[in-house]
Amino acid sequence: MSLTKRIIPCLDVKNGAVVKGIKFLDLKDVGYPPEMAEAYEKQGADEIVFLDISASAEGRRTLLDIVEETAKRLFVPLTVGGGIREKDDMRAALNAGADKVSMNTVAVLRPEMISECAKDFGSQCVVVAIDAKRRGGGWTVYTHGGRQDARMDMVEWARKVEDLGAGEILLTSMDADGTKDGYDIEMTRAVAEAVNIPVIASGGCGSPKHILDVLRGTKAEAALAASIFHYGQWTVRDVKSYLRENGVEVR
Amino acid sequence: MPLKVALADYGVGNLHSIRKALENCGASVEVVEDMSLLQEAECIVLPGVGAFDRTMERLQPFREAIVQRLNEGVPCLGICIGMQILFQGSEEGQGPGLGFLHGNVVRLKAPRIPHMGWNTVDTDDVIMNGVQDNHFYFAHSFRASPEDGSDIGHTDYYGMIPTLMRKANTYGTQFHPEKSSTAGMAFLNNFVHFAEDRK
Repeated sequence: MSLTKRIIPCLDVKNGAVVKGIKFLDLKDVGYPPEMAEAYEKQGADEIVFLDISASAEGRRTLLDIVEETAKRLFVPLTVGGGIREKDDMRAALNAGADKVSMNTVAVLRPEMISECAKDFGSQCVVVAIDAKRRGGGWTVYTHGGRQDARMDMVEWARKVEDLGAGEILLTSMDADGTKDGYDIEMTRAVAEAVNIPVIASGGCGSPKHILDVLRGTKAEAALAASIFHYGQWTVRDVKSYLRENGVEVR
Repeated sequence: MPLKVALADYGVGNLHSIRKALENCGASVEVVEDMSLLQEAECIVLPGVGAFDRTMERLQPFREAIVQRLNEGVPCLGICIGMQILFQGSEEGQGPGLGFLHGNVVRLKAPRIPHMGWNTVDTDDVIMNGVQDNHFYFAHSFRASPEDGSDIGHTDYYGMIPTLMRKANTYGTQFHPEKSSTAGMAFLNNFVHFAEDRK
């Protein structure tokens, strides 16, 4: 017996509803976040991620209400990300009921945010989300929801966020995201071998086999997926039985 | 009368889940900002949010009184950092802990830190009676190093580490029962019954 691999449904939340973007576009409403989170816990989800993709301050306040509503019903950890710009944004999310907060653009623009938040709230609740794209023989980091090239090497950046005190990396392949062709194994492996903090693989999941591949083929601790769960193709339970049958330890 | 739990609010982090979880187990929960009130509580819960020194800040003036109550047998549950502050001190902070348990809190040594996710607890203690799926949620970079034999449960994370403590009627957990779904709820249910019998 030892630490199990985690399966994490991700809910993209816009103005209070769960939506799923395909390559960050074509948003379509699929449900009410607290209910979906609760349903996923019942299916055996190890954790839930809420990614706020509202562009407005109003949308963000709505999210905090939803986080609070969710925290009262959910008895697995909840990670909240999207639109975190200040330490106070992180504080507000934690006070509303998030267990961890994920930051992306702000971490690139002001890396000291990572260490300040780690010092104040503890590393275990600071998640740095890295969105990256293949370029040449490596990968390059993007910010602003994938719209802006940060001109940074992904592996170097991953090492740096660890040094600054991040407790976990949520790694999304922008090439794979929305394709349902599977995670970028090579990319996940590169980061998971470069750092000593847990890594969550994200982007490209279209089947339980993809989750098996990334958890067996890399040192990632967790796999995040959205659409395969949202549209009811597979439950978290289905995925876990499949993983167990194939020798991956899950809860 | 339901069990009255005083839930310590150190002024950092949210207490929504632990509060709701205890209420679901039949307890009535009072969130306490004034730590002097812990001295009169019939059951104390020290939640698992924040860092060592910040967590001890409000508790510091009432250290001796709280420890005396714990020694007298007031039922208490310390979760994660709330368990760690039961010890004498921590490598995470400068100031002393409550010192109810002997030993210190040390930095976790493993190739992956924090120890984050779901792991099992190896114990024979009655507090785990009826817990079906023995998986609990952990998120920590420091661990207890007891010197008084209070560690009654252990978890394999690159070696066995103490993750369940007990002394008098106080339990301490490195895991977060309030984040551990049905297993956590079964554990908390057992604790609430345990506390009811001893209040």
